[in-house]
Amino acid sequence: MAPADRQSDPGAASVPAPRVPVKGRGYWQETWLRFRRRRLPMAALCFVALLGLIAVLSPCLAGTKPIVCRYKGRLYFPATSYFNPRWENPIFMKDRFYKIYPKNLKKKDPESWAVWPVLYADPYRRIRDGEWDNRKGDEIYAEPNERNLFGTNQAGVDVLAQMIHGTRIALLVGFVSTGVAAVIGILLGAMAGYFGGLIDMLVSRVIELVMCVPAIILILTLLAILDKPTIWHMMAMLGMTGWTGIARLTRGEFLKLRQAEFVTAARALGVGWMRIILRHILPNALAPVLVPISFGIASAILTEAGLSLLGFGAPPPNPSWGTLLNSGKQNLQMWWLILFPGIAIFLTVLSYNLIGEGLQESTDPRLREAGK
Amino acid sequence: MVNYIIRRLAIGSVTLLMITFVVYGLIRNMPGTPLTVDLAESSPDKQISAEEMKRRAEIYGLDKPWYLAYWKWAGNIFRGNLGRSIQEKQPVMRVIGPRIAPTLLLSVTSLTISYLLAVPLGLYGSARSGRLDERTTGVLLFMLYSFPSFVAALLLLNLFYVKLDGTFFHLKPGMVSDSYPQLSTGGKVLDIFKHSILPVFCYTYGSLAYYSRFVKANMEEVVRQDYIRTARAKGLKPLTVLVKHAFRNTMIPFVTMLGLTLPGLLSGSVILEEIFSWPGMGRLFFSAITTRDYEVIMTETLIYTLMTLAGQLVADILYAFVDPRVTYS
Repeated sequence: MAPADRQSDPGAASVPAPRVPVKGRGYWQETWLRFRRRRLPMAALCFVALLGLIAVLSPCLAGTKPIVCRYKGRLYFPATSYFNPRWENPIFMKDRFYKIYPKNLKKKDPESWAVWPVLYADPYRRIRDGEWDNRKGDEIYAEPNERNLFGTNQAGVDVLAQMIHGTRIALLVGFVSTGVAAVIGILLGAMAGYFGGLIDMLVSRVIELVMCVPAIILILTLLAILDKPTIWHMMAMLGMTGWTGIARLTRGEFLKLRQAEFVTAARALGVGWMRIILRHILPNALAPVLVPISFGIASAILTEAGLSLLGFGAPPPNPSWGTLLNSGKQNLQMWWLILFPGIAIFLTVLSYNLIGEGLQESTDPRLREAGK
Repeated sequence: MVNYIIRRLAIGSVTLLMITFVVYGLIRNMPGTPLTVDLAESSPDKQISAEEMKRRAEIYGLDKPWYLAYWKWAGNIFRGNLGRSIQEKQPVMRVIGPRIAPTLLLSVTSLTISYLLAVPLGLYGSARSGRLDERTTGVLLFMLYSFPSFVAALLLLNLFYVKLDGTFFHLKPGMVSDSYPQLSTGGKVLDIFKHSILPVFCYTYGSLAYYSRFVKANMEEVVRQDYIRTARAKGLKPLTVLVKHAFRNTMIPFVTMLGLTLPGLLSGSVILEEIFSWPGMGRLFFSAITTRDYEVIMTETLIYTLMTLAGQLVADILYAFVDPRVTYS
């Protein structure tokens, strides 16, 4: 594609133009330019970014712990304990707060001040009467109302708060499990494609093996073998069963690229195979591989939600969208336990699918040539 | 061709052996055995002595380490003996047999409906490519494809089972009503039909969206070919070009697709069958995992793997039949 500015001034054609080396757009830049032109995938990308923001800010959006507070002359950040329970400062345990901050802060230190989350609601427990000014306590199985916008579940825990904090799990499951899958898939696929021969045959057999075993058998048995499966175990499991598509595509790309001139040149210069694979071929093969990665994130989120729905997901106190669906399955008349988390899962899966689709179209060489 | 098939069968049987070996090892390493899980559920006064336990373990081959017990299992399979379900206390064939028809009822119906609708939808999409109505249906189909079937199942149950209770549209989970044995033949058919509406819908809509997008994508590939331009240039009707010249040539990837759907026919969906309390293979598998019913899990794995391998082989062979350019030599 010729840069437009060369033809911008037809009158200057007789004068030899100063030779400015034109730097061509790289493969990545090209892909990004094509991707950016598509409206729906871009909207999906923005939505995922928004979800990331919600996940990072979840303790500031919904919680019962101050984001920052001054207590007995020192500053504390109790809300961070939503990320990791161990980050809760022991002083609040010692002073017997029992996780109820608003009353106790004023009672135990009248000088204290605090910045509170937007929504006074907790993803782990029920709010009781008079905890927060005159706010009434939450009821169990409450329909959506002004205190609980999305209602409460069988334990009286606010659904909106659980969904906001569940965003963390959903995004984490998507990224970590697909990250594991991508590392395994790219590594094995690259080796198979680059070396060929025996290694290729072995890797292809392993791919076939993993593809033939139904993923749900693998995941359910592996989860049963572990004594106390955590959400991290599940992510590892999803990653270890979901890498075959990525490996096959990487293998294909490497098969194609290992014949390219620049690889021969690198080899002639005496570059080691590891460096050729990682620095020379991989950057050129990565964009198409992002397509199954994006679809993989969507399917990992779906599988996690499905397993949680069956009761095999994250252990109960963890707020996850699938766990909410599980309580909805047991109480079918509580539509708010199904509808809201269902929409959240749908939108997230849709976004990743749209991104995958957009990537596919912007890296497809045939569409590229057609100038679409 | 014969050579190729023989080679594929040989490789396939090795794969089959490896997969069953791995799965056998995995399930034998789950904590608890069918005997202990059974005991934990029964009352304490039914406790059995250690000798009795040992005797039972010997019967089911649980006294040996798994890698030895596997060969016993594989040998039995070879002789056509699938073993006995420890939970149900009867041969595995009897346990799985009645589960096949309900699963097939859902999968075959859903597959037929989605194929029958997907082809015209895909053709319509490629005929009106880029127009407003096509773009709208395209986006709608994409959304449908992304909508999780288990969420749809729960929402539909909430609507038809809970909200519409007492009206004409009331639909229940399960496959048959409690009064099923007393119904006449026509009543029985109607009863099963009414119960299968929701599960079939949840099974179908996602694959319908997927297949129609698949048809459309393949059509767009073919429509760009030179012979399509030739056909148009000699004045054939657009519909004739679309169906006779273009669509017939998209059948090649379609055949591969058919092979890939083969295992899904019999495996059933664990989640959907759980939600709809549908007495199929998926639900059986789920309960077999929780009760550690080794023989049932193994038989289901065997069936699934066999179907997957067979599907791939059939797809590859059909490929050569549909497309004369493909040869295996």
